[in-house]
Amino acid sequence: MRMSRPAWAALSLALAAAAFRPALLLVFPVAADSQQRAGSPPTAASTANGTATAAVTTKVVEAANAFLATLSAPQRTKVTFGFNSTQRTGWSNLPSGIFQRNGLRFGDITPRQRQAALALVAAALSREGYQKVTDIMNGDEVLKNAGGGRTGGRPGGPGPGGPGGGIRFGLDEYYVALLGTPSAIEPWMIQFGGHHLAINVTVVGPHSVMTPSLPAAQPAKYTLNGQTIRPLGRENDKGFALINALNRGQQKRAILDYRVTDLVMGPGADGKVIQPEGIPASELDAGQQALLLDVVHEWVGILNDEAAAAKMAEIKANLPKTYFAWSGATQNGGLAYYRVQGPTVVIEYAPQQGDLDHIHTIYRDPTNDYGAKLVRP
Amino acid sequence: MNLRRLYLPLVVLCAWLATVPPAGAHRLDEYLQATRLSIDIQRVDLEIDLTAGAALASNVFAWIDTNRDAEISSAEGDAYARQVLRSVVLKVDGWPVPVTLAGASFPQFRDMRLGVGTIRLRATAKVPSAAAGRHQVSFLNTHRLESSVYLVNALVPENPRIQLGDPRRDRGQHGLTLDYTVIADTPSPLDRTFALLAGLAMLGWLLWRFGYTLTQAVATRSRPSPAGRR
Repeated sequence: MRMSRPAWAALSLALAAAAFRPALLLVFPVAADSQQRAGSPPTAASTANGTATAAVTTKVVEAANAFLATLSAPQRTKVTFGFNSTQRTGWSNLPSGIFQRNGLRFGDITPRQRQAALALVAAALSREGYQKVTDIMNGDEVLKNAGGGRTGGRPGGPGPGGPGGGIRFGLDEYYVALLGTPSAIEPWMIQFGGHHLAINVTVVGPHSVMTPSLPAAQPAKYTLNGQTIRPLGRENDKGFALINALNRGQQKRAILDYRVTDLVMGPGADGKVIQPEGIPASELDAGQQALLLDVVHEWVGILNDEAAAAKMAEIKANLPKTYFAWSGATQNGGLAYYRVQGPTVVIEYAPQQGDLDHIHTIYRDPTNDYGAKLVRP
Repeated sequence: MNLRRLYLPLVVLCAWLATVPPAGAHRLDEYLQATRLSIDIQRVDLEIDLTAGAALASNVFAWIDTNRDAEISSAEGDAYARQVLRSVVLKVDGWPVPVTLAGASFPQFRDMRLGVGTIRLRATAKVPSAAAGRHQVSFLNTHRLESSVYLVNALVPENPRIQLGDPRRDRGQHGLTLDYTVIADTPSPLDRTFALLAGLAMLGWLLWRFGYTLTQAVATRSRPSPAGRR
């Protein structure tokens, strides 16, 4: 069959078009993807949760603005940082005098300003989470009064607040900082912490993220106003409950045959993902899985209930790929380290140097620390 | 008994208690050596973080500050980093591989004295065989065994062609042995799509450029010549 020149041209053009159309789709996949997303209508539950989380954001923004309104202009300058500034990673478990925090120091603000700052923290967290935070802070005051802070203002050292000063503990040594402008739409962040406490809450529209955060405690048990307080007591007890709910074979999988003396993913380990170890939750029965989720909730549930519910649902969806690892004694009261690691969560519980009265923990999401998934670079 | 002989240890003990910072219960008499291994097809990277407890800080500082000028010069830091790496044995498939120092940073003595300053060493080793299949890496750190505690972990590889097996460690985490598999480098679906598209585009261009001319030539040849008509 003979073909004319225009026919050849048409055939060539068709082949080229066949080649380039998918190529164009590969280069511009966003349109197709967004159409797909627009095609799936939101469920009633997600709409309800979305409304609730948006209401929480409004409440947190109002609390932040109320706090800012109590400050003088120089204080506002001191407390505010750019959202993408290096301040984001400027947190630690260490006390003042060893680690220099930025932002407003509680010892340098008035009781009214301090109350407004705490109201902001309370607005972002759950009731239990805020209680945990205050228990940790009060524990540090106990540590200070017990002499833990007696190096404060060591002769020859600069005065309080200055670099190189003595180690300082107690309620005055907690700092608050805001990264970005409080907004119901644009991303911003609340950073609150001091010795044994680093709470980083990133707010992006209706979403709140609390990773990475470091709740720790020393002393792990103290008495205040006649009440015995264990800031991380439930984390300890629930961990032991879970390891003891496993049968012998499961324990063999979960218990590491080596000592873990410290946090592996502590401060400074941003962006690292270690190989998971221990027993996968896919090998646990429903009751054991519920215990594992209960352990996880001790950290996730520090954040406000609405955001915590969304995070727990995500962790539950990834449960088969979530591991539980244990090192140490299995009888409550003994010395033990444990780790929960899944695709979107890493939790470590680590007594320090064999001291049951000094506990460090860390809570991370390797995919969403500082709201990385929600914030466009 | 000579009273001075009795008092002297007491005085030394009191002096020690007065100078050791009671920074809560920060690391005191342990030298924490935490290593993370990052495995790639042609290399293994090591991140070694060393934190001396407050009671050990002076000793550790003295190991590094060899000229005793109370500062860690870059030469002293480099020498200490290499000393640490000499205590490290890294093997791939059973064969020792040389570990090269890639970077080191040292804290102020003040921070070390409080038991919180961390020495950070970064090192790398070339893996001789990058072939697909099963491999094994083993790491052992024996630096300052007498006073150290250790952590060693493998990072999840960034390269999807590497799959890690179960790690094995000794109780004190001085070492780690890890089997891993390098998956053969097959073209990804994306690569295959692009190859197909490129092929189609090339065919289209060839047809456009030569197709018509070629068929014309064939047609001309197959036409009976005037001589034949004769």
